[in-house]
Amino acid sequence: MINPVFFDAAVFASLLVLLSLGLTLTYLTTKVPNFAHASFATLGVYMTLIAVRVWDTNPYIAVPIAFLLSGLVAITLYVFILKPLARRGATEAIQMIATLAFDMILIAGLNIMADYLTEGFRIKSREFTLRSYDLEFMDLPMIVFIAPIAVAAIGITLYFILKKTKFGIAVRASTENPDLSGTVGINVNAVYGVAWMIAGGLAGVAGALMALWFLGDPNLGPLLLPSIFAASIAGGLMSIFGAVAGGLLVGLAEVLGTRFLAGELGSWLIAYRPLIPLIIIAVTLLFVPNGIAGIDWSKLRSKIWRR
Amino acid sequence: MASIDPAFIFITDLIAIFSIYAIINLSLNLEFGYGGIPNFGKVLAVGAGAFVAASVPGRIIASIANIEGDYIQNNLSVVAAADIWIIDNIGLTLVIFLFTFVIAAVVGGGLGALTSYPALRLRGDYLAITLLAFGESIRIIGNNFPPLVGGTLGVQVPDPLSFVPDELRFPTASIILIVMAAVAYLYCEMTIRSPLGRSLRAVRDNELASASLGKDTGRVRMKTIIVASALAAIAGALYAIYTGSTIAIAFDRSSWTFWPFLMILIGGLANNKGVLVGTLLFVTLRKVIIFFKDSFEWVVPFDVVWLDMLLLGAILLVVLLFRPQGVIVEKPTHTLGQKTKAKGVVRIFNLLFR
Repeated sequence: MINPVFFDAAVFASLLVLLSLGLTLTYLTTKVPNFAHASFATLGVYMTLIAVRVWDTNPYIAVPIAFLLSGLVAITLYVFILKPLARRGATEAIQMIATLAFDMILIAGLNIMADYLTEGFRIKSREFTLRSYDLEFMDLPMIVFIAPIAVAAIGITLYFILKKTKFGIAVRASTENPDLSGTVGINVNAVYGVAWMIAGGLAGVAGALMALWFLGDPNLGPLLLPSIFAASIAGGLMSIFGAVAGGLLVGLAEVLGTRFLAGELGSWLIAYRPLIPLIIIAVTLLFVPNGIAGIDWSKLRSKIWRR
Repeated sequence: MASIDPAFIFITDLIAIFSIYAIINLSLNLEFGYGGIPNFGKVLAVGAGAFVAASVPGRIIASIANIEGDYIQNNLSVVAAADIWIIDNIGLTLVIFLFTFVIAAVVGGGLGALTSYPALRLRGDYLAITLLAFGESIRIIGNNFPPLVGGTLGVQVPDPLSFVPDELRFPTASIILIVMAAVAYLYCEMTIRSPLGRSLRAVRDNELASASLGKDTGRVRMKTIIVASALAAIAGALYAIYTGSTIAIAFDRSSWTFWPFLMILIGGLANNKGVLVGTLLFVTLRKVIIFFKDSFEWVVPFDVVWLDMLLLGAILLVVLLFRPQGVIVEKPTHTLGQKTKAKGVVRIFNLLFR
């Protein structure tokens, strides 16, 4: 029997990869950290709740719906708020505050939905768990397999889209130099919009899957946000592959690191788990400000080799 | 007790909350409006101040008055005994609470110095993320380390106004708080009219140019953050004392970081009068919503608190999109032309109204 903490770690790390991928993608386009990103995932959590409890169907039906829903919300944020603000020359800080305000609205909306689900359908809609609704595969909950597989599949697909398709080249060109890409005929706005759609969608997928393993709550976003930012910053904030590595690092460090340290030092330590992403952010910014993706591995290797 | 008019309670509470938020917002305006430092970790200093007020004076009084029992374990009885002791020792109480404010300011300033470490080294967005993360830590530590403020149960704070008759307690507190806010306002106005204030604006508008003119941009920023954090910590301590209790979980990002930003943006950045206007608008709106909450509770199938949050988020977005300069616009700096220096009362008048 495998220790369930490894399932925790696998699921959490994979979902963190999805979330930090999306955050990095939006950061690449608009250069503004999106503080509402975690709440896109909460939307996904509620899609799964609705699929399972209201519609009585397979929980995985919620995944594509969550992709669309969160994607649309993300596009709304970009098109109606961030783009007009940027056009008017609002500073970075103002745009960040705008994403915080959007997050407030989302959280309020989610709470209203949670109240409505409780009132209208008699469903436990706060601090709920849906583990028992998951399908089984080889006597284990299916999510344990689906989460890592989905993340690997999405990562590889994204890699091919970005490296091999015309659209991917357009994305990379517009993030590199929007003005120049505009002059060679790339519709930069459309490209950014699609990037936001994908980023929001991935967050929605992460949320929909997360609902099957972790506790769901409308206020999940603010709790999750430091982990997502830690993952993206550890990955360098500017690199898609860095985001994957950062997500794995933070996810595993949070779950396994806490468990290991608690075993060594005592169980009081478990409560301080939320401090781990904060420490990772601080350490990354102080010692490797460009993140994992910014480390020059060949140089490092030759340095160690010589010794 | 029963004969107190609800409208009277409404207004005294409004004044108290307005004053506390005004101090926090003035300090945030110093950092963000005048200094351009996006302190997304405002809750850190506010929470630290509240934690100091919740843990220091109660323990001092308990040791002076030889009150039995552990301050956290037997918090209710210790604080009740302390309140009784305060009635007979007004002078000493005053000293203890002044000392508390000094400690709060020192702790706040220290955290400000810690905050300024990344603030001097990081660009806008990285800085905002780091400070946001710093701000989260205060709640996590407070919630999980009971000796500080009782962990998840919270603690009661001894009331320095125990000697005032019950029906006068809240009005007295409101008057003291509004005086404190006025002092903070005067202090902030004086700071921004000082050489430090002018170089702060210069650093915000063009860092390179001000550095080439010999301004130590790092020091200016650091001083500002330390001063602003100390002010915010005092406000946090005032809040803890006013409400008479502290619980770590109340020091969340939205109440003490997001709302202050909202208020100063509505009022107008880099403009202390605007800050007061924005604070008053916001606090009044919230109080009115809470006041009338019961009357339309049954109309909607959810808790009205969320409607409040929805509305405030939407208002902020509308302000940012359609009136980014806020209600009152920042005035250009006037440094020349004031040949004769006004004296005494005229000077205070100028500070307040010009």
